[in-house]
Amino acid sequence: MKLAYYPGCVAQESGKELDMATRWVCRALEIELVEFPNFSCCGSGFIDEANEVLNVALNARNLAIAERAGLDLLTICSTCQGMLSLANLRMKDPKVRTRVEGALKPLGIEYRGTTKVKHLLQVLVEDVGLPAIQNKVRRPLQGLKVGAFYGCHLLRPADELNWESAEEPHSFEDLLTVLGATAVDYRGRVMCCGFPIQFVKPDVASRIAGRQIDDARTHGADAMATPCPLCHISLDAYQNQAAKAVGHPLDMPILHLPQVVGLAFGATPEELGLPRHLVPTESAVAKIGSRVPA
Amino acid sequence: MPEKTVSAQFEVYRFDPAHDSAPRYDRYTLDLAPHTPVLSALLRIRAEIDPSLTLRYSCRSAICGSCAMQVNSKSRLACETQIGPELERNGRIVVEPMRNQAVLRDLVVDQEPFWRHYDQIQPHLILDPRHPMPEGKENPMTPEEVDRFKETPRCIACAACFSACPAVEADPGFPGPMALAKLYRFVVDPRDTAHQDRLLAIQPGGLWTCLRCHLCTEACPKDVRPSERIRDLKEMAIAAQGATEPGSRHAVGFKENIRERGLLSEAKLVRQTSGISGMVGQLGQGVRIYRKKPEILKAPHKIEGLDEVQKIYDALDHTEDDAS
Repeated sequence: MKLAYYPGCVAQESGKELDMATRWVCRALEIELVEFPNFSCCGSGFIDEANEVLNVALNARNLAIAERAGLDLLTICSTCQGMLSLANLRMKDPKVRTRVEGALKPLGIEYRGTTKVKHLLQVLVEDVGLPAIQNKVRRPLQGLKVGAFYGCHLLRPADELNWESAEEPHSFEDLLTVLGATAVDYRGRVMCCGFPIQFVKPDVASRIAGRQIDDARTHGADAMATPCPLCHISLDAYQNQAAKAVGHPLDMPILHLPQVVGLAFGATPEELGLPRHLVPTESAVAKIGSRVPA
Repeated sequence: MPEKTVSAQFEVYRFDPAHDSAPRYDRYTLDLAPHTPVLSALLRIRAEIDPSLTLRYSCRSAICGSCAMQVNSKSRLACETQIGPELERNGRIVVEPMRNQAVLRDLVVDQEPFWRHYDQIQPHLILDPRHPMPEGKENPMTPEEVDRFKETPRCIACAACFSACPAVEADPGFPGPMALAKLYRFVVDPRDTAHQDRLLAIQPGGLWTCLRCHLCTEACPKDVRPSERIRDLKEMAIAAQGATEPGSRHAVGFKENIRERGLLSEAKLVRQTSGISGMVGQLGQGVRIYRKKPEILKAPHKIEGLDEVQKIYDALDHTEDDAS
């Protein structure tokens, strides 16, 4: 399998461990990642708030880059996934399309709308398939209870993204199960992490993050796992603030999706960048032990 | 031919704050056809098993918006939610009152905050007294003008969005999705003359607390799509009034940030949103993160083809000029 790799900003910057883990897992699954040094930011929902058509145009350019190479596009961030998918959809509106093409055509950029946008979670569950993933498991995550945390823009608006039920998704839990982990069922798994207002209303954002971590914790999670590096920032890097907001200590390891897969495939914590997390992940790794066959 | 019935197990939230020290869940098992609405099941429980079960309902036809409640943790109109699919997915049906509003009794909540926020957006046309409508004349709109708010009049004020909203939960001062969607309806109404005042009034503490998580759009039984209307309001607020709030500074700062390199400069964005004083306030947290992730202070490389990105901005982005 060969895909245009769209790492997004954060995985190239403070969330570099996500990029490391993605490359490790894709190597193990023989997914070829084709890199494009001309991809720009997806706008992260913020450019969309400031100027919707500009946001669609920037993403139409990104999509046209993959399209020219004849590749579908792989995202590793729920927000990138949402923004790029919705750009494909908005481009079906003739009024938007005319304005965007007015900006792209003079640059020789042609957008046809044939490139599919797929998040790593979708590629793993739908394209690689759960049986093939199970075959690669060398260190089953037995004994590890994981709360999947989807991230809003992978799921919603469901009628526009046209993937899973936004209220009762199960892909992530299905994946965790074949990796040997126990998926924890809790309401917070489809909720918001608070990230969009982390710098705007930090107190409100922290209450929201704390609420979801608490929810996972009271349902027995040893760790949470997310397919979105922005959720990771909120839940991991700002977990100390979330703890202050809920008024009691929190000590919840937050794993990136490919880190969970990589651990089950036998990667070391260092190969997956786990030491880069703010909340130590050792307690979660200790649960699964190091039962990797020599 | 009558439909085959199934044995349906209900767990219903029961709480009378005047008498109970804590809520409890009462279990009921009924034989029902899979297409039975949850509301009909609850009414049967009340008629045949426990007359004290308290709930709010009226039309039974998804028009009045009275019977919104949580069915298996989802905000739903009980009258249009059939038991079959719920049983298939969850094996049982847990019925709870809506969230983010105090429980008065069982499934009935106090809707006062919901309506208070609605009243505060002044949900009526505001006309300029200097230009009164000529007596006996209409104030016509074109079909295109009406189309701009074709979704919001579908709202039945059931408060499912208010119940689903994490910003309402974490910040009682946030007006909530329904009030903001209604505000949008008046801000794009060409007959209304208070557009600017409305946008000014809603920005501090209101508009920019929205997380655009789309939980409201998902919960809405009438496809009003509040989160998308709130997005529209944000773009209109920036176009009309510039980046005046931390929220709008963040959105505009982000946009400008990407223009420079094509990728995000994380530290610079914090400065754009919070200013120097805000950055000082976040210094401790910044140092904590920097120790593990030193990349936060580094500006990213400039992408190849940055000139293309900048030309797209030149062609489509004029908001900052308009605002200044």
